[in-house]
Formats: sequence, structure tokens, C-alpha cells
Amino acid sequence: MATAASQMSDDLSSIFLALADPTRRAVIARLGQGPASVSELASPFDMGLPSFMKHIRLLENSGMIRTRKSGRTRTCVIDGPGLSNAERWLAEQRKIWEAQADRLEAFVMLEQEGRNADSDR
Amino acid sequence: MQTVTAELDLEVSRIIKAPRDRVWNAWVDPERLAKWWIPHPLICRVVSLDVRPGGAFVTEMSENDGPFAPHLSACFLDVLAGERIIYTNALTGGWRPAANGFVTAIITLSDHPDGTHYRAQALHKSHADREKHEELGFHDGWGTVVAQLAECVETKT
Repeated sequence: MATAASQMSDDLSSIFLALADPTRRAVIARLGQGPASVSELASPFDMGLPSFMKHIRLLENSGMIRTRKSGRTRTCVIDGPGLSNAERWLAEQRKIWEAQADRLEAFVMLEQEGRNADSDR
Repeated sequence: MQTVTAELDLEVSRIIKAPRDRVWNAWVDPERLAKWWIPHPLICRVVSLDVRPGGAFVTEMSENDGPFAPHLSACFLDVLAGERIIYTNALTGGWRPAANGFVTAIITLSDHPDGTHYRAQALHKSHADREKHEELGFHDGWGTVVAQLAECVETKT
């Protein structure tokens, strides 16, 4: 039985996998400006269409983009909760890491003060 | 209208008004680490802090004086005394692959006019099956891992 949490974590995994590649990040960045056809998206890259389609399919499977075929043109658009899920998760992580850095700073400063007080004696 | 951006990397940094060796000691000394590693009122127990590449990094936590439960089980990847610590929970001590790893942390200390510049970066990725390893360029090693500091653009309507 898949819990909501593990489902969420599976979704995140496919999103981070998708974002782990510079080509795919570039595609997402381009689609941030609006829908584009696959051939338009592929044009900046020096790779064959089959290889490029792999990236597109992976992005599609991660739930970050949607594609639609009309005649001979396949159009891609950013879609779905993928990216905002990833962002929400990262925001939570950031809070944890920020708090940890705060505690480290506080600890070192306290220790430092204690030491200064000792040496003043 | 669709607009810009949110970076998906994760970095926190602080200027700590204390010399670098004190910050370093707060990190690598088990007694000191235990005092700040986990938020109060949780209590931290440092099981292993073997600060060298391949060394185990294991911490536990206890709530309300209850039994200690796992908090972090990780492996140090790189250590440069006084300057840098890199660890991941994708591995456990002795480089053994972990069941569920998701983060590589890079801790950097550098001198700053006011004391120490403390920087922590967290790199995340999916847990990877075989095919995904391939996709990730897993064998390209560190360059790839660092590239995974995913940067990207979000659309908002």
C-alpha cells in the first residue's frame, strides 16, 4: 500500500531525476517563457531527435510538462504540480538547514563568550 | 502571463563571529556537535563521527527522554581539516550503499574579516534504479553530482 508520503517521495524522485540533467533544465527554462514545439526546443542542442525525445519523455513522465501532438508538430507546455511540489519540499529542507546553521552560530558564539569570560578572570 | 524563477539549489551561509578553528571544532567534536545538530528539545546522541573519507557519521535523537531513534546515517566523502566536510546519506560508513539516500552535503569554512564564513550546500536527487543511474551519468562522478544542484525556472500564471 502506497502512503501519501511515499507517493510524494516517488513524485519528488522523478522530478529531481528530471532536473538532474542540464538539457532538461534548459528545456524547462525555455518552457517557462511559454509553450514550444519539440523541434524548436531541440534546436539549441547538438543531439539527434531520438535522444532529445528521451529527455522530453522523461520530463513528461515526471509530471512537469505535457505534450500535445497536432498534425506533425508536437507542442510542449509546463504543466502540473511537479515543479511546485519540488519547490515546497525544498522550502521545507531550507528551513531545516537554516535552523541548523542558526544553532551552530549560536553555539559557537556562546562557547566563544564563555571562553572570553574565563580569560578575563 | 508566465514569469520567472526559483532556483532549486539549497544553500545556507552565515558569517560566524569566531575563528575558523572554533567553528570546525563545533562540527567535528561529538560533544559539541550534539549540542546544536538537532533542534531543542530533542536530544542528540552522536553514535559515530569518524571525520575522514569513508568514515561513518551517525546521529540519533530522543524526544522527551524517550528511546533514541535514528536521525542520520551517513558517510564522509571528503574532509579537509578546517575547511571542508562533504558527506552523504546515500552511503553509510565504509562506503556501503545505504537503503535510502537522498542528500549530499557540502560544508565549507573560509576566513572572513568578521570571523568565519560558514556555508552549507545540500544536493538532492532521486533515489536511482539502475536505468536512472545511467540517465544521471552516475559514473561521471562528482561533476555530475554537483551539476545536480538543480537550477530551474518555475512558471506562475
